[in-house]
Amino acid sequence: MTGTSTLSRLVGRPSAFCLTLLVLLVVINFIVQPSFAAPGQIAPTLGDLAPFALAGMASTPAILAGGGGIDLSVAPLMGFTNILLVTRLLGTPLGKPLAAVPILVAIGACVGLINGVMVTKLRIPPVIATLGTYFVLSGVDLGLVPNPVTAPPNWTNNVAGSIGPIPGALLIVGLPLLLWLGLRRTPFVEALLAVGDHDAAAFSAGMNIDAVRIAAYALGGAIAGVGGIALTGLVASADSQVFGDYVLVALAAVALGGTNMAGGRGGMMLSVIGAGCVFMLENLLTDLHASAYFIQVAYGGVLLVAILLGSRLFTRRAVST
Amino acid sequence: MADIAENHTFAAPVDQTVDRGASGEVVLRVQHLAKAFGPTQALRDLSIELRRGEVLSIMGENASGKSTLVKILSGVHRPDSGTIELGGAPLPPLHSPRQAQAMGIATVFQEILVVPQQPVLTNIWLGSDGLLRRQVPLEQRRARGTTVLAELIDDPPLQAPAGSLPLSDRQAVCVARALVREPRILILDEATSTLDVATRDRLFRVIRRLRAAGTSILFISHRMEEVEEIADRVTIVRSGENVATLQRGEADVQRMVELMTGTKAAAQELRKVPDARGRVRDEVVVQVSGVRLRHQGAPIHAEIRAGELVGVAGLEGHGQDRFLRVLAGVPPVGGEVVCLTDGQARTLRSPADALASGIAYVPKDRRGEGIFETRSILENFQVATLDADGRFGLVRRSVTERRFDRYAELMRIVTGHRSNLITSLSGGTQQKVLIARWLATSPKVLLLNDPTRGVDVGTKNDIYGVLADAASQGVAVIMLSTEVIELIELMDRVLVFREGELHRELRRGEFSNARLVASYFGQDAE
Repeated sequence: MTGTSTLSRLVGRPSAFCLTLLVLLVVINFIVQPSFAAPGQIAPTLGDLAPFALAGMASTPAILAGGGGIDLSVAPLMGFTNILLVTRLLGTPLGKPLAAVPILVAIGACVGLINGVMVTKLRIPPVIATLGTYFVLSGVDLGLVPNPVTAPPNWTNNVAGSIGPIPGALLIVGLPLLLWLGLRRTPFVEALLAVGDHDAAAFSAGMNIDAVRIAAYALGGAIAGVGGIALTGLVASADSQVFGDYVLVALAAVALGGTNMAGGRGGMMLSVIGAGCVFMLENLLTDLHASAYFIQVAYGGVLLVAILLGSRLFTRRAVST
Repeated sequence: MADIAENHTFAAPVDQTVDRGASGEVVLRVQHLAKAFGPTQALRDLSIELRRGEVLSIMGENASGKSTLVKILSGVHRPDSGTIELGGAPLPPLHSPRQAQAMGIATVFQEILVVPQQPVLTNIWLGSDGLLRRQVPLEQRRARGTTVLAELIDDPPLQAPAGSLPLSDRQAVCVARALVREPRILILDEATSTLDVATRDRLFRVIRRLRAAGTSILFISHRMEEVEEIADRVTIVRSGENVATLQRGEADVQRMVELMTGTKAAAQELRKVPDARGRVRDEVVVQVSGVRLRHQGAPIHAEIRAGELVGVAGLEGHGQDRFLRVLAGVPPVGGEVVCLTDGQARTLRSPADALASGIAYVPKDRRGEGIFETRSILENFQVATLDADGRFGLVRRSVTERRFDRYAELMRIVTGHRSNLITSLSGGTQQKVLIARWLATSPKVLLLNDPTRGVDVGTKNDIYGVLADAASQGVAVIMLSTEVIELIELMDRVLVFREGELHRELRRGEFSNARLVASYFGQDAE
């Protein structure tokens, strides 16, 4: 530890690589499309980004908790809360933000809780358990709205746009992020990382592994609930198909951010940066009129290269022996 | 509640001049404990008494039930029958280590259970908090953590990731984790096996202080000299039952081995190995020229001859482990290792080179580097010799089975069926299977990294026998050992490492227990 220069400590940080990539992509975006940073554009752009960022954040805790943890049901859960909000809550007294937000967050947390219980108590492998939830939720989504239902103008439009002078996206991404930063000051995140890194050690030290993992899935679910609100603001409708865009991109955002996919290292902040990279890349390629097929190829390529480079840069801080 | 009970006993002062072990009130009473895992009866009828302010050692061979007892007391397993009383009151069934800790029982396990990517300080306090609330304020964590860990190691690096520490220091972190909880009962389950000698001595000092303050310590170790040094009483267990409890002074090595193995015949301490004369050949098989293990280190020169038994020793982390890996083909910082088997000189550049030259390496970390946990005993045995069993690219299982049976007999490997999972075997038997795996490759040089760690006396003797046999057939055996006694009994030569350099080479007849340990510390009275 001694004698490590500030520079190499910075380079060694997991966020360094992804942050650099993000800055680079923003600059290139600006060069290609100078109107990208025009004052009127920033809020809608961030509104586009918000569901990506929230999907990435929601996917993070399950992965951090280790033990093969992953939550594939985040995207259809966002779709589910989007549909509930538009078809059941808006236009009723419960459609007001102060009622709707807690309800949707709670529903998300409940679904996450079920995932967590399946993974820990029933010992179903996380990929399978959350894939099951994925199919159930996407079926329910489709059953609720076989065809998109346009939402009447409502408060979520501001979420994708501006609330006063503040871009709504900053608020809807910022509040869960603040929650996470708050949790980092509690023993929870420490426990989450410990369980993800070496669950046997954590267990023998007296940690309740199952409780930590269930809480991780529930936290992810709750944030997916917020993601559903951001999605509603963006698409202004109830749509059973739109979540498909976020399923794998959410995981890409987590990986790109530098969170260890095997658990024990990383965080939501990283996933937001990762989501920013994915989004900027898509934005750039769209501006360049690349075909949708090519965008997919580019996603994959950047992801692989980033993971490769990121892990190389990270090895200098890696655990020895 | 616990404090009240303890204060009560303070009212009647304990006479410190009489044997503490015999007079203290019983803090933990285990009676008729039984536990089965599937068809294996790990505990049959085990009863122990742990008194206030004593060190009770549990001695027994590997499958004797010690680990199961410890895991029941630490909340990992639940007993099938039997009763446990803590401080005179029946102990409710413990469902997790957390509950055990809440009852004042803290355990340090043999496995090094640190969370590698988290800082040392976090590791010390791991599990002490609630899900959202801290039980111990941060300043206090730092202060207490520093004090406790500094008792065991110098300049504890509290902010370093625990995984970056040497093995011994990592285990010290685990010990510190138990100590900061200020338990009524401290269980050390083979916890000293990964500690270097200096840290262990410091731990013993801590244990003596805790004992004087009334803490009860359950101390489990395969090292007789540790038990003789620290234990007030020794309870001997065999096949899941307690067979005897000896007072301090009664517990000599001979008697303990007798009780553990249950047969007079097996009572000789360790198998003696035939003299080197006639066994060690002139033929040099490995030539170590100018090898440096660290950049500023002095170059190491050594020759290993066919049929030789060479010990590699030193304090933990002083280069002996590295040296063994270099012999296994991991490139050193400088110099080279030349293998002279098959009449041709070959410089080792990779582990694959070493393997091709007939150098087999049995690693230390059995679970991490040695066995395939999800595969059978036979599959674990055969992986290194799969090619020999093939015909037209198909593996003939019967050939493998015959070979395995031959080695099983030779090494006295007692297994259920050979298609059972390797993890169904005790650690010592797994180790035998691993050694058999590499012996079956007919190596010219056999490297072993502390193969008897955490292995019972009977299994140790079997391993020694096999190594001696291999040596007499011309295999050069190079073994890293953390047990002084086995170096003395088994080796023709011992290479002592210190600070990444070859510090001294001692020949049979030159080394005694004191001489070897002294040279670990660089104290060589010529």
